[in-house]
Amino acid sequence: MNNAGKYEAFDITPPQPGIIPACPVSPDALIGIPRQQTNPCLWDGSEWRAFVSELASKEIHVDERNASRLLYVTDAGGMAYGRPGGVLIARSTKMVAEVMKAAQKYGVPVTVRGGGLTTEGETVAFGGLQLDMRGMSAVLEIDKEHLTVRCEAGIYWHSLAEALRRHGLDYLSAPLNMTSSVGGTLGVGGIDINSPRLGCSADQALAIKIVTPTGEILECSESENAWWFNRVLLGYGQFGVITEATLRIRHFTPLTMHYFYYGDLRTAMEDLVMLCDEDAADYAGILTMLDRAVNLLVAFDTDERERAFFTTWRKRLRGFGELGFAARTGLYYILRPWKYREALYLLERKRTLLPELRPAHHLSQGKIVDRTVVFSQAVWKFWGGRQMVIPDLATSREKFFEAVLRGNEVCKKYFPHYTLYCVGIKIVGPPERYELSCIPPDAKGIAYGCEFEPMLEGRTYSRDHLQSFKNEIYDIGVDIGTSYYRFGGMMKGYIRRVFGDTLVDTHLAMKRSVDPAMVLNRDVIF
Amino acid sequence: MTKRMTADVVIVGASLSAAAAAKRLVDAGYETIALERFGLPRAKPCSGIISPRGHRFLIENFGPLPQEVLHEPTACRGVTFYFPGGVELPMQFDGGMTPHLNRTYSDYWAIKRSGATIHDNMRFIGATDQGTHVDITASNGCEEAYYRARYVIGADGPNSKVVSTLYPGYRDRITWFTVKQHLHEIIECPLDPEYFHYWFHPALGYYTWSHLRNNRQIVGVGYEANHDFRERHERALRYLEERHGVKLGPCNARETSVNNFGLSLINRYVFGRGNIIVTGQAAGFLNMIAEGMSAALHSGAIAGEAVVDAFRLNKPIQEIYRTMIQSEVRRCSDQWNIFKILFGRPHEADFMGTLAKRSLNEKLIVLRDVAKFLAPWGKYNWGRQMLWQAITRQITGGYNPRRWL
Repeated sequence: MNNAGKYEAFDITPPQPGIIPACPVSPDALIGIPRQQTNPCLWDGSEWRAFVSELASKEIHVDERNASRLLYVTDAGGMAYGRPGGVLIARSTKMVAEVMKAAQKYGVPVTVRGGGLTTEGETVAFGGLQLDMRGMSAVLEIDKEHLTVRCEAGIYWHSLAEALRRHGLDYLSAPLNMTSSVGGTLGVGGIDINSPRLGCSADQALAIKIVTPTGEILECSESENAWWFNRVLLGYGQFGVITEATLRIRHFTPLTMHYFYYGDLRTAMEDLVMLCDEDAADYAGILTMLDRAVNLLVAFDTDERERAFFTTWRKRLRGFGELGFAARTGLYYILRPWKYREALYLLERKRTLLPELRPAHHLSQGKIVDRTVVFSQAVWKFWGGRQMVIPDLATSREKFFEAVLRGNEVCKKYFPHYTLYCVGIKIVGPPERYELSCIPPDAKGIAYGCEFEPMLEGRTYSRDHLQSFKNEIYDIGVDIGTSYYRFGGMMKGYIRRVFGDTLVDTHLAMKRSVDPAMVLNRDVIF
Repeated sequence: MTKRMTADVVIVGASLSAAAAAKRLVDAGYETIALERFGLPRAKPCSGIISPRGHRFLIENFGPLPQEVLHEPTACRGVTFYFPGGVELPMQFDGGMTPHLNRTYSDYWAIKRSGATIHDNMRFIGATDQGTHVDITASNGCEEAYYRARYVIGADGPNSKVVSTLYPGYRDRITWFTVKQHLHEIIECPLDPEYFHYWFHPALGYYTWSHLRNNRQIVGVGYEANHDFRERHERALRYLEERHGVKLGPCNARETSVNNFGLSLINRYVFGRGNIIVTGQAAGFLNMIAEGMSAALHSGAIAGEAVVDAFRLNKPIQEIYRTMIQSEVRRCSDQWNIFKILFGRPHEADFMGTLAKRSLNEKLIVLRDVAKFLAPWGKYNWGRQMLWQAITRQITGGYNPRRWL
C-alpha cells in the first residue's frame, strides 16, 4: 500500500518564534490551549558555520565537541532534553556582546545558562549556542559603607555569600539553592523565605550591566536606562543578558528559627497570611509533611524582633509546639490504627528531616549561621534527584487558599508523598517590572506562592506522568486566574492562557523590536 | 564484507509511536534510525479520530498541525453511541473538537519532525540481542541491510514483526480481529457529520462505526479475522438505512487493519525483553472505541525516555521501561475498568454524565443493551480477567506487571 507516487510535498518546517498559526483543525479544538510547540525541535540552521567562523575570527572559540555539548543536555528539572550546536563559556561582557552581534547577524539562537537550575528546560538549548555564564563569577566590589556588592552574573549565590561573609556581610534575599547564579535569579525573580518582607531577589538589584540581544552594552538602573532595567529584571532572559549586578546587602546576623505545627493546612495558611500582612517575622513560610502535619516556620534576624513576635503574635497563632503537636497527633493515630502507615511515615520524616533543618555544624548559640546552606542541602536531599518537579501557583491573597487546597488534591492523585512550600512575596518594585512575571497582576501589597513538590523518593516516573501532574496544577491557575513562578519552557503553553493575548502580544512586539532575529533564549517564552 | 550501519537506537516502524520515541531520543542527542517497510508517506488504514490528549501531545512535541495532515471534515466534535433499544447518547469530547488525521501524512509529518534518520522501504526481518547491543537485519526487497544498535524499539503496530521475533508462538496465542472500513458515496445521510458514530449492537458485530470523510461516508465493521466481511458489511449498511435513513452509494475505497483487541482490556501487555522494547499498539495499547493513536504517542514517548535513562544511568532498559510505562498502563487499562467507568472519569467524553441525564427507562435500556452486546464476547473469557484486574487496581492502585510479557 505504498502511495509514495501520489505524494505532493508539504512544508514541515516549524513556524517562526512567536507566530501561532491559525489552527486548521477547528477554532474550538483544545479550547484555550495555544498551538505552541513547547518541546522544541533542534535548530539546525545553515548559518551555524558562518557564525562560528566569525566568532573564531575574533578569538572567540565555540566548543563543538560532542562531550561538551552533552554536558548541557538537560537542566535540573530533567524533563526537557536538547543539545546545543556548540558551547561557549562567557569570559567578559565584551565577549557576550560580540556573540550577540554575530547571533543577530546569522540568526543563531543563543541560550544562556547559569546554574542550570531551571525546571522546565528554560536553560536547555535546542540547537544553536549555549552561553554558559559561569565563566563570569567574580566579586568585583564590596561597598561596606553603602552596603552594596558588585559581582559578575555567573556567580553562585553561595560563592557570593562566602565572599561577603569575610567582611561580616550577607546578601539580602536569594533562592533556597546554593548553585543558582545571580544573573539567572535576577532574570526570573528569586524567592526566599524573607520575601514577605523584602520582595524577590531581583528587587534587591540596584543596577545591572546587560548585553542587549543586538549586542549593545548598557548599564541600567532605575535612573539610567530604566526601561531596560525593568524589562530585564524578571524578564525571563528575553530582553538582555545580565553580565554584572549591583545588589543591596546587609550586615551578617545569624537567625533564630521557630517551628509551629498544625493539623490543618487552611489554618496554617491563615496564620501565614496574618504574619505576612502584619510584618510579624523576618522570615515565614509553610512546609507540609502530610495534610495533618503542617509546619509553619518563622525566623528572626534580631532578638528584638523575636521578642516582639512572642509578645504580640505568638498567642494569635493556632499552631502547636513540637511536644503539643506530637501528643495530639499520637492520640489521633492511636484512635485510627488503620492509618499506621501514615503515622510511620510521619515519624520517619521527623527523624530524618527535622535534624537537617537544625544541623549542629551550622548552628551557633542556637542560631542558624547560613540559612541558604541549611535549606538548600535539605532541598536536594529530600526533594532533589535526577528530576525536580515543582510546579507552582502564584496568587493574590484572595485566591491563595483555593489555589493551594485544590493543588493539594491534585498532588494526592499523583504521588503518595509530597510537600507544599508556601511563602509570601512583597511587591516592592514598579508595576512594569512585574508584567508577565510570577507576580500576578491582581496581587496587592503581597503575592503568595505555593510550590507543589512531590517526593520522588527514588521512584522512576515517566516524564509523561510528571508532565500530566504539572499540567493539572497549572490548569488550576488558568481556572482561577493566578500566575506561575515557572511559566517558561515546557510550560510556555500556559503563558497566553493566564496573561492574555493583549499583554503577551505587547511583550512579543517589544521582544521583536529589541531582538529582530528572535535569537536570545528563543524557546523560553515565545 | 557485509556493511553494518550503526546507531544508538533503531526504531522499527515510522508511525506515531515511533515518532514520539524518536523525538525523545533525538532531543537527548542519540543517533536514531527509524526503519519503515513502505515508502514514506505510506497509507495507513485508520479512522483518524485522535483524542484531545493525543492532539495536545502532537502540538506540544511536533508543533501545530498543518492542513495537509487532516481529512475533511478536519475535526470531530464527539462520539454518539447507539443502542438497539433506540437510545442515542451523543457526547462531546472534553477538550472541544479533535482532529481527523490523515494518517498517511500525519505520521510522515511527525516522524520527519522528530529529527530521526528515516530508512523507508526497509522491512525489518529479525534481530539478535547480543547483550551489549542488538544486530538487526532488514531488507529493501532486493538486498538485505544490517544494522547494529544499543537498543531496539519495536513500534511496528499490532501485527508486529518485532513481537513475533521475540515471542515466536505469540501470534497464535491471542485473538485477532479484523476491522474493515468501506468508503461510500453519500446519497442521503442524516448522521451528524461532526460526530463519530458507534453501535452497541450484537447483531452488527464487535465493532461497528461510521463517520464522514472527504465527502464520503465510512462504514466500518470489526469481527474475528475469519469472518465473511462482505455479508457483515451489507448487514450494517441495511441496518443504517432502515434504522437511521442512511442511503449510501457503492463503496469506492476499502481499508483493512488487523487489531489485537484484548491486551489492554485484560492487562496483557507485551514490552519486550533484553535490549529490545515494544511500544504503541505493538505492545497492546488501545483505548476504548479502538482509539490507539494517543496511547501510541504517549507510550512511544515513554519508550524513548526509558532508553534515554538506560543510556544515562547504565541500567537495564527493561527495568526502567516497565517502571515508567505503568502510568500509561493505568490510564489505558482504566478505560476498560468497570469500576473506573462507573465511579471515575477515565475517558475524554463523559459517558456516565450523559447517561445520568436520561430517564430511568432509557438507563435500563442502555444497561440491557450493553449486556446483550457483551454476551458474544463471553467466549474469550475476558470478563473474569477484567473484573479481577479491576479489583486489583482498587486494592493496589495499579495493575499487576506480572501479567506482562
